[in-house]
Amino acid sequence: MMKKMGLQEAVGTKLGHDITEIRPGEFKGPAFRKGHTVCHEDLCHLQRLGKNHLYAIDLENDEIHENGAVAILAKALAGKGITWKDEPREGKIKFFAGIDGVLGVNTAALAAFNMVEEVMCATLHNHTLVKTGEQVAATRAIPLVMKRTPIERAAAIARQGGSVLEIKALRNAKAGLVITGNEVYHGLIEDRFAPVLKGKMQALGSEVMALDFAPDDAKAIARVIRSHLDRGCDLLLLSGGMSVDPDDVTRHGIRLAGASEFHYGAAALPGAMFLVAYLGDVPLLGVPACGLYHRITVLDILLPRILAGERIGKKELAFLGHGGLCRDCSECTFPSCSFGKGG
Amino acid sequence: MENFETLLKGSAEAHGHLCPGQVVGVRMARLGCELIGLDNPRAPDQIKKIVVYVEIDRCAADAIGYVTGVRLGRRSLKFVDNGIMAATFVNLESGHAYRVVSTEEARDLASLYAPEIQGNARQQLEAYQRMPDSVLFRVQRVEVPMSEFDLPGPTRRKVSCTRCGQVVRDHREVVIDGAVLCRPCADGAYFKHAQEMTWPDMNWTPGRAEALAPAVRKIRETDNFRTAESVVPG
Repeated sequence: MMKKMGLQEAVGTKLGHDITEIRPGEFKGPAFRKGHTVCHEDLCHLQRLGKNHLYAIDLENDEIHENGAVAILAKALAGKGITWKDEPREGKIKFFAGIDGVLGVNTAALAAFNMVEEVMCATLHNHTLVKTGEQVAATRAIPLVMKRTPIERAAAIARQGGSVLEIKALRNAKAGLVITGNEVYHGLIEDRFAPVLKGKMQALGSEVMALDFAPDDAKAIARVIRSHLDRGCDLLLLSGGMSVDPDDVTRHGIRLAGASEFHYGAAALPGAMFLVAYLGDVPLLGVPACGLYHRITVLDILLPRILAGERIGKKELAFLGHGGLCRDCSECTFPSCSFGKGG
Repeated sequence: MENFETLLKGSAEAHGHLCPGQVVGVRMARLGCELIGLDNPRAPDQIKKIVVYVEIDRCAADAIGYVTGVRLGRRSLKFVDNGIMAATFVNLESGHAYRVVSTEEARDLASLYAPEIQGNARQQLEAYQRMPDSVLFRVQRVEVPMSEFDLPGPTRRKVSCTRCGQVVRDHREVVIDGAVLCRPCADGAYFKHAQEMTWPDMNWTPGRAEALAPAVRKIRETDNFRTAESVVPG
């Protein structure tokens, strides 16, 4: 229960919540913290903040203060790899990445959680690649005092499937590169794909342990794939030959090698002719030639997710469509842009 | 209790089709029974312990009846015409009662729980099977005051309406200025212009030919009362 009292009346009482001060462009934070005993010297400051009344808080048995509520919410929302402290500021608790990895957000559970009127949680996009210490989300209870029941229900909703938020660490893959194309294989032009792909793997903490070239011949491509697997590669990147010309036979090579699962085409640009196949548990990624021209393609969206253990299928490739169009900015700001964030 | 899939299949057969309401109703009933501690409400040793108040007359109501075994004729199914997708499950033995309310937000969340499925009904059908109870329902612990006249079992009281003579069972009569009246006489009824009618061969009994007696057919064909079909709009 909250009782409204005038400032004079409030002198000597303890504040029931943080009081926020905003000085445009200069400061936003608590001017007074919860528990602070109001004294005469505070009154002018409070009036400058537009406060002529304060609340005296007297909790009923079935009620909870925002700070207690937000701690319950935070505990339920945070999963593996997420760090947070039970030190709410202005009723809010922030979540941080405790490890490097891919942020996982259970978007359905998050939406269901936010449907409870008394609570909110805002996050970065699902699948965002984050570094240790980065803020990934924050939560708060909306009212200052509320019934316990909706908070407990929101917490139950957040716990479906474990938690709403987690950080999935990237595995250190031993990647094998297969660079296809007669023009490269026969030395007509110099390959420029391998350094690009190597750079992307290394940036994600993986190594390239095998690199081979193959002509536009499905059987030869299949042989190189098998040879990479025999050498212990646990992720294969195949470049070129992913389009629709008669010489584009990489897909056939992947099938010949015995891929058990095969998805050709991603709802992203650049990267529409991307291919994901699996040989057992080993992902085979067919990177179309756009990967040579564009700095960022669908590969940059999916590679972290695959290294974080996600199995990419038809659904995942299709769901990329919303937000799957690169704006092709003159100065690329990826990943701080919308590309690949909707899926 | 049978598993969810078996209950849903049986419920859909009994209801006539599989629909999102069947999923919600079966889940609501399972949850309600679990809350009042009945694991097999249709079993002979439990069937007399349960009463369910259903607040909606839509698909889910049939599913609740199917799963719990409650029946209007057993007085274990009470229909309260609130137009709310909710039901209250009462354990007559322990007195425990829980009201389970289907959330409105579940409808809005269906596309997030089953994003790969097209079409509202199909998407809801799948999504309502994926959502946890916390998303699909709100649950209230309630007290349900029940008089002995609400309970299953034999009729406990009969009185006659002083205006029309109709016998009224189980204390559903109304007393106005000391006069005992049936509800239609006291409060008005859902029907109007009631006119008693008979016909010469109003004598059909089981075992006689099933065909309508000629006199009944004649009444049906010539009656100038508005029939049920004729009042359906459009």
